[in-house]
Amino acid sequence: MSFKENQEYQTVGNAFSDDPMITCRNVDVFYADKQAIFDVSLDIAKNEVLAMIGPSGCGKSTFLRCLNRMNDTIDICRVSGEITLHNENIHSRETDVVYLRARVGMVFQKPNPFPKSVYENVAYGPRLHGLAETKSDLNEIVESSLRRAGLWKEVKDRLEQAGTGLSGGQQQRLCIARAIAIQPEVILMDEPCSALDPIATSVIEELIDELKQQYSICIVTHSMQQAARVSQRTAYFHLGKLIEIGLTDDIFTHPVHELTEGYITGRFG
Amino acid sequence: MKIQGEGHIFKRFDQEMSHLHSVVLDMGKLAVQQLADANGTLEKADVDAAHQVITNDARLNALDIQADNEITNIIARRQPMAKDLREIIAVGKIVADLERAGDEARKIAGLTIRFFKTSENPPRQEILEDIYALSDFVMEMLTMSMKSFDDLDLALAGNVLNDSLKLDNKLQSTIRRLSTFIMEDARNVGHFVDIVLGIRALERFGGHAKNIAGHIVFIKSGEDVRHAGLEDILARIQA
Repeated sequence: MSFKENQEYQTVGNAFSDDPMITCRNVDVFYADKQAIFDVSLDIAKNEVLAMIGPSGCGKSTFLRCLNRMNDTIDICRVSGEITLHNENIHSRETDVVYLRARVGMVFQKPNPFPKSVYENVAYGPRLHGLAETKSDLNEIVESSLRRAGLWKEVKDRLEQAGTGLSGGQQQRLCIARAIAIQPEVILMDEPCSALDPIATSVIEELIDELKQQYSICIVTHSMQQAARVSQRTAYFHLGKLIEIGLTDDIFTHPVHELTEGYITGRFG
Repeated sequence: MKIQGEGHIFKRFDQEMSHLHSVVLDMGKLAVQQLADANGTLEKADVDAAHQVITNDARLNALDIQADNEITNIIARRQPMAKDLREIIAVGKIVADLERAGDEARKIAGLTIRFFKTSENPPRQEILEDIYALSDFVMEMLTMSMKSFDDLDLALAGNVLNDSLKLDNKLQSTIRRLSTFIMEDARNVGHFVDIVLGIRALERFGGHAKNIAGHIVFIKSGEDVRHAGLEDILARIQA
């Protein structure tokens, strides 16, 4: 089956939620003249994990980066359409991008702790955003964030050691602790386990399951097994288009669109 | 980018699925052959051949285990999704149905031994005609189920489901006809129970063919119709 970039399309499945944290409507993304995302509309619900899957170059990471305006850092990138967080347009002139990125935290493919101590990696954000009035408050935030990231027991005796000295899996959990320390509402994860071994991956996946009690999570992953394990809904992207979105249980057992079927059964990729 | 229809990105996966598919088809042929052979032993009153049919059931059991092992390996190695997942789940159930269909064929061979081992008062072939007719019918049902599996042909699966309704009617009329033999000659009473048990085995054989047709519906549509009414399933197939 062929599927061309300029072809009209309609997303299969219900992309919307009755209780959305983030809403995206008719989102297009261009890198200079090249369109990377085509008319994507979807919601991310409260306390859900939405997995975005698709072949390399399908635009899932580009779309993810729209959600906290990380694409603003790319000069040639232009985003149109409407994206709201709690009914507030994230592209309005009043939006403070630094504050937006605190509310919509991000965890990247490669763990990227600051070249500072474990403690400072987590304390940096709350201090910047004025979330702690006293040193004691800050200590509490650091401890609770590391606990929620499942890292406290492993690092409590070496908080002053460099974050970059931790193992890959620990570094990634440190980055998650850093993201949740500033009390975000949404956490974006861009292939957070691709550099980790299966044990470290399973720890992060357990963590994602716990974190969804408090946050909405949107995860881009190349591992369909991971998408099936951690998410409640799954969105399939192809050539910049949102082809199908639905309950993960449905997408991985009887997808509707043949492109989704072809991708998740390994008929192309 | 490989596109759909060109096969799996791992050729080995296609090979493994294809091999499993052929094992299932072999099981289907063997189950039908077992029932045909069992009928032959009844017709010829050949007790030795009946023992051979019972011995041959081990081949079906071995294929059942082989298929289960292949299924386990594919799941462990490939983590199939969507249609592949549905197919592998359904195949697990199909092989169980085929193995049990073989068990029912074995019961018909058991009748031969029971009726003809001592040769004292064996039943007249006339009384056994219904067993042959029903056997032909359920063998055709299973053959059609396996063709439906091979081609993933929903229409054919629908035909099998329709035939299962016909089978119910045939069973009722068979029991009625057998009753007349008893009324004609009381010496037939001793055979009546055995023949009814044989008919029950054939009913189950046909039931397995019907189950397999339901599994084809699951593979194709993702709908589990095991506990749905026949008319409901047929309506869904037509939709």
